[in-house]
Amino acid sequence: MTSLDVREIGHSFGGLNVLTNVSFEVPAGKIVGLIGPNGSGKSTLFNIINGFLVPRAGKVLLNGTDLSAMSVEARSRAGLVRTFQTPKVFEHMTVIENLMAGAYKLTRSGVLSDMLRLPGARRDVAMMRDQAHELCRRFGLERLHATAAGLLTSGQRRMLELARTYAGKPQLLLLDEPSSGLTAEEVSQLGEWLKTLNNEGMTLLLVSHDMQLMNVASMVHVLYFGEIVATGTMDDIQRNPKVREVYLGA
Amino acid sequence: MTLSLVAQAVLSGVTNGVIYALIGMGLAVIFKGSRAINAAQGEFSLIGAVASVFAMKAAGFSYPAAFAVGALAGAATGVLIDLLLVRPMIRRRAQEDAFLLLTIGIAFAISAAVLFFAGRDYFTLPSIGSDGVAILFDATIRYHAIWVIVITALIVIALRAFYRKTNIGLSMMAASIDADGASTTGINVDLMRTATYGMGGLLGALAGLLVAPLVPISFYMGLVFTLKGFCAAMIGGLTNPMGAIVGGLMLGLLESLAIVFIASAYKDVVALTVLIVIMILVPHGILGRAGRAGG
Amino acid sequence: MNRRVLFAIAILVWAVLPMVLPRHFTDLLVFAAIYSVAGLGVGLLLGHCGIVTLAQSAFYAIGAYASAIVTVNLKLPMIVGVAAGLVTSGVIALALGWPVLRLRGYFLAVATLALAMIASALFFEWDWLTGGTIGLGGIPKLGAFGVVLDTPQSFYYAAWITAALSMILVHNLVSGRTGLAMRSMRDAIDAARVLAIDIHSLRVQMFVLCAMLGSLSGSLFAHYTGYVSVASFSIDKAILFLLIPVIGGAGSIAGIIVGALFITFVPEVLSKIGDFHGIVFGLALVIVVIAAPHGIVGTVERWWHNRRSGVSPTAEARR
Repeated sequence: MTSLDVREIGHSFGGLNVLTNVSFEVPAGKIVGLIGPNGSGKSTLFNIINGFLVPRAGKVLLNGTDLSAMSVEARSRAGLVRTFQTPKVFEHMTVIENLMAGAYKLTRSGVLSDMLRLPGARRDVAMMRDQAHELCRRFGLERLHATAAGLLTSGQRRMLELARTYAGKPQLLLLDEPSSGLTAEEVSQLGEWLKTLNNEGMTLLLVSHDMQLMNVASMVHVLYFGEIVATGTMDDIQRNPKVREVYLGA
Repeated sequence: MTLSLVAQAVLSGVTNGVIYALIGMGLAVIFKGSRAINAAQGEFSLIGAVASVFAMKAAGFSYPAAFAVGALAGAATGVLIDLLLVRPMIRRRAQEDAFLLLTIGIAFAISAAVLFFAGRDYFTLPSIGSDGVAILFDATIRYHAIWVIVITALIVIALRAFYRKTNIGLSMMAASIDADGASTTGINVDLMRTATYGMGGLLGALAGLLVAPLVPISFYMGLVFTLKGFCAAMIGGLTNPMGAIVGGLMLGLLESLAIVFIASAYKDVVALTVLIVIMILVPHGILGRAGRAGG
Repeated sequence: MNRRVLFAIAILVWAVLPMVLPRHFTDLLVFAAIYSVAGLGVGLLLGHCGIVTLAQSAFYAIGAYASAIVTVNLKLPMIVGVAAGLVTSGVIALALGWPVLRLRGYFLAVATLALAMIASALFFEWDWLTGGTIGLGGIPKLGAFGVVLDTPQSFYYAAWITAALSMILVHNLVSGRTGLAMRSMRDAIDAARVLAIDIHSLRVQMFVLCAMLGSLSGSLFAHYTGYVSVASFSIDKAILFLLIPVIGGAGSIAGIIVGALFITFVPEVLSKIGDFHGIVFGLALVIVVIAAPHGIVGTVERWWHNRRSGVSPTAEARR
């Protein structure tokens, strides 16, 4: 079981403070949400947690380990993965191949084994392929398994990205605006999926402006111009006067 | 380590440096205007020099007229490259590496064409002013070299004024920074890009015309010029033509000092190593926003 | 069934060619095989990693010189020479590649060109090692068990079999886990990183592999011509090797073969006109880049697919 500890993260771009003293925890096995108006720094925060950005201050710990020195790839191997606001699928690869790529970190065979088609390499590819087919069935992508990812609709890409991330058996999943581009029905389906994944033991950190989707979170933090201004359940948040001011007044 | 040796190194370094600077400026102008690295920049120098030589030898032009012919040839080549080759690529929304391959192909084709039509000979042009030398601190510098430095300085001033003060210059800058925004204000982005290539061609040709009296030019030198110019442009900031001056001078001086302290055979190696090191160590600092994707 | 028969016929034709063609043609086909190995490496980097490398001529030279020096000066068996070349190229590619491959796009291409030119200058300067413009001669011909391959006809088989083996290895690589990682890296680099695909390490590994293929090609060259000098390793070669995947098509083995044949036969066909092939190569590069970005084979494949399915390809790789 994993837990994420974000401590006093601060960041600025060219003199403009984007994040100030952001601290919160994501307890193992929970779904935690992050909401806030556009420009409040949510994406920057995600980029910092996942390793694309180095923060000017503060640190991020995964299960007690300081991630500061770890690359994006290393963090991924440690179990921390994310999705993107616009799903980044591998356009020219089929759905199956996308899902196989998701299982990359579960296998170890190297360049030489691939070239010589050693048994280890063949086993790895077979395992990745079998798992990919299984995921297609689970995530409802079976019909599309041989289609190039570039031809999928928004909703399908989102599912593919989710399935692909799941393929690597992550422990902590960061979801950046997963509902963008989805119909209301697809959003509610997504919510169900997130609950299912959570039931299987995955910890989720969810950024969304969709209040409906946020209901799956047990704890929500409100980020406003780089600072956390409120914390609580969705009910608490919606009744919080400061939040109402921020969202309705701002 | 005598003063005259150092002085000689400085003088030749500065002379070479301004040539590199001119080529670098041409590269920077094109990069600024079209976000493409022109691997054929050195070929403009070749074309300028060769066209001029032929104007004088075959058509009997006077030196000033031949000079003009060379400069025009360079500019015209730049314009043609944009109209015939770059424009269809832009329409197709081609990727970065496609442009690189395109300009490599152009560079190769031009070098080969010069080889085919003009042979393996070396070309030189007469010096500006007399063939004599001046003596400074016990070191010699050819009068032509002094002219080169002066003329380059004038070109730099003119270029700066062009970009800041003239309508066309400002439009070219606008078109390169934000093509969509520029076209909504009525700027013909395509035309501006063509003008950019023409300008790059002109600067390249001038470099060739100015260096030919000092160093005989042959068909294979386009590539060397391009790389040295690229080095100059990189040191100075790829999007900043003015920075190429600094870059060029630094490269020229570095080379001269390398000749003094190491051996003349390694001078190219020094320049190229500097280029690689600069690209690796200062990619973001020099390019700012353009840094991450490598252009 | 149909494909197997076609394939068998092709192999038969290939085997018979040196016996029916004039020696001169067979000689060209040998060069095509040698160059295809180098081009295979460049194509791997270009087609699968999106990297333009102009450094292949340097590694080609290293392979050739290694083979020459080991067999002529050190009088060791040829296999040692080939191995020496592979190891030297691999180590240099690793050492230089590690920092240089952090660059992207144009800058990486320029850096590889700079490396090739540095190598060229050094080969010229260090004539105590390379023989400079005079070069090294008397390199033994390929041979084992009493059979010596000293004619184009006999070397033809060794060259093409080596090329075929290299292609099989690369094909396996590309169809395996590594190939998947490379295509992911090419399509969405951030997403690939999040899946723990180590981009930089992959690029370096491919660069090393490319260099070793270049070296192998150079060793073959040395044992075929029996003589090497700096004249054979100019920047022209670097561009030539780049032309192979660009003109033929970087995405497939067939493309490499077509590209290699192109660069060997075109100068031959044009030789009557003089030193014209340089212009043709330059123009061919320009035309391909503008009008047929997937190379000859790639364009034909697309055209064929469009004709058959009537619609744009679904699961086809499109760049």
